[in-house]
Amino acid sequence: MTAPAGPAPGAAPGERPSAAEAPAPVIELHGVSVGYDGRTVLSGLDLRLAERRIGVIGQNGSGKSTLARLLNGLVVPDEGRVLVDGRDTRTDGRRVRSEVGFVFQNPDNQIVFPIVAEDMAFGLKNLGLPKKEIPGRVAEALESFGIGHLAERHSHLLSGGEKQLVALASVMVMRPRTVVFDEPTTLLDLRNRNRIRDAVDAMAPAAVVVTHDLELVSGYDRVLVVHEGGIAFDGAPGEAVAWYREHCS
Amino acid sequence: MNTSLYVPGDTPLHRLPAGAKFGVLFAAGIGLFLLAHPAVLGAAAAVAAALVLSARAPLGALRARLLPVGVMLAVLFAATALLQDAGTAVAMLLRLAALILLALAVTLTTRPADLLEFFERLTAPLARVGVANPERISLGVSLVLRFVPEVFRRFQEIREAQAARGLKANPVALLVPLIVRTLKAADDVADAIDARCYPPPRRPSGGARTEENAT
Ligand SMILES: Nc1ncnc2c1ncn2[C@@H]1O[C@H](COP(=O)(O)OP(=O)(O)OP(=O)(O)O)[C@@H](O)[C@H]1O
Ligand SMILES: [Mg+2]
Repeated sequence: MTAPAGPAPGAAPGERPSAAEAPAPVIELHGVSVGYDGRTVLSGLDLRLAERRIGVIGQNGSGKSTLARLLNGLVVPDEGRVLVDGRDTRTDGRRVRSEVGFVFQNPDNQIVFPIVAEDMAFGLKNLGLPKKEIPGRVAEALESFGIGHLAERHSHLLSGGEKQLVALASVMVMRPRTVVFDEPTTLLDLRNRNRIRDAVDAMAPAAVVVTHDLELVSGYDRVLVVHEGGIAFDGAPGEAVAWYREHCS
Repeated sequence: MNTSLYVPGDTPLHRLPAGAKFGVLFAAGIGLFLLAHPAVLGAAAAVAAALVLSARAPLGALRARLLPVGVMLAVLFAATALLQDAGTAVAMLLRLAALILLALAVTLTTRPADLLEFFERLTAPLARVGVANPERISLGVSLVLRFVPEVFRRFQEIREAQAARGLKANPVALLVPLIVRTLKAADDVADAIDARCYPPPRRPSGGARTEENAT
């Protein structure tokens, strides 16, 4: 998973043979400050993200989700700019979101449509894909996660683990170049947590993963610790986790 | 707990096009409010119940959908009988029951996707004159389909949680958390919709692009 390009390692179910193995887009934050209702959450961030696997850890309320949302324009900065391959999330949000997918913590709120296949098709329609190409793409994406049998099921009646896989597949079907995850395993039991971990490890696009699960990020290329309105530590996973344990527990 | 609206199947009702089903539902809705004879209304309710059964939905699924409605109908019936008279109450009960059962038969047997396509086609003329945006309407309809069962489920969760703490059923104590939770979920769903690049690009025939209006 440290290889900058080429097929993802291992034959885990998240593998996407059809994915264009493009390098991760470069996400830059320039002097970014953001807050809610006049209360600053993150201030003066300067970051350049280009690694294939980046972890984000930090205490509750430290601003991890806010940082994640900045990366695809779901939140736009009060000050400064966020650029994805040079595109400003403020003015080019839709385009940025077609390249930077987002998987939310709670798949219940991520899954929009009542039937799995319809939910998968939603993103493709939004990309303007011709109608006749959609079923094939949907089936392929579901198969790649080993959940082809769920296509006609009610999305809201699936188990938590199945829902999170559907949420992930519904983002991957759009063939993003980076996927941002906001606590993708928090609501899952150990087995499903491992399924998601393997799927994330094996998938072709780059990933930015916000998590409280420190083990999840142990093999990543880079880990950021969000603390007191900024990035308090930025480096290898082992050191980042050690810093976090020392300063935040 | 299955409270979603559609149940997959292959019955005659399932195979009927969505447009036809909605046409009948619409006509029946008008007809039921013009009719007042209890025997006729009773027959209509019986036909509607037969149609629901013909969808071959699991009984548990039917109960989950009908129980809240049944409670509401019982309250309405009692209130009408008290405040007006038994005859009016019976007519109202049969009329609403027929209508609700018919609507249930339609939603049980119509795939949400077909429902959406039907609404898109229905609103296409409005879109052409610029009054409506069919994608928005179809998304709105599917969100209603999505949220109705969830609101039912949350309602039950909150009631159980309050009962577990010994609270008596109190409409305000129920409604406030229900509204707060539903709004929070709606907020998250709106983000998820944005994150997946809604709205779709306009087709070449369409009017102006609506590039950033989802944010
Ligand atoms: N939509 C919002 N409106 C107002 N305040 C918000 C909003 N979203 C987040 N906040 C506040 O901003 C701060 C940072 O929130 P954020 O969700 O980014 O933290 P987090 O690191 O993701 O926390 P957690 O680990 O609990 O998920 C918190 O104090 C939170 O209350
Ligand atoms: Mg968070």
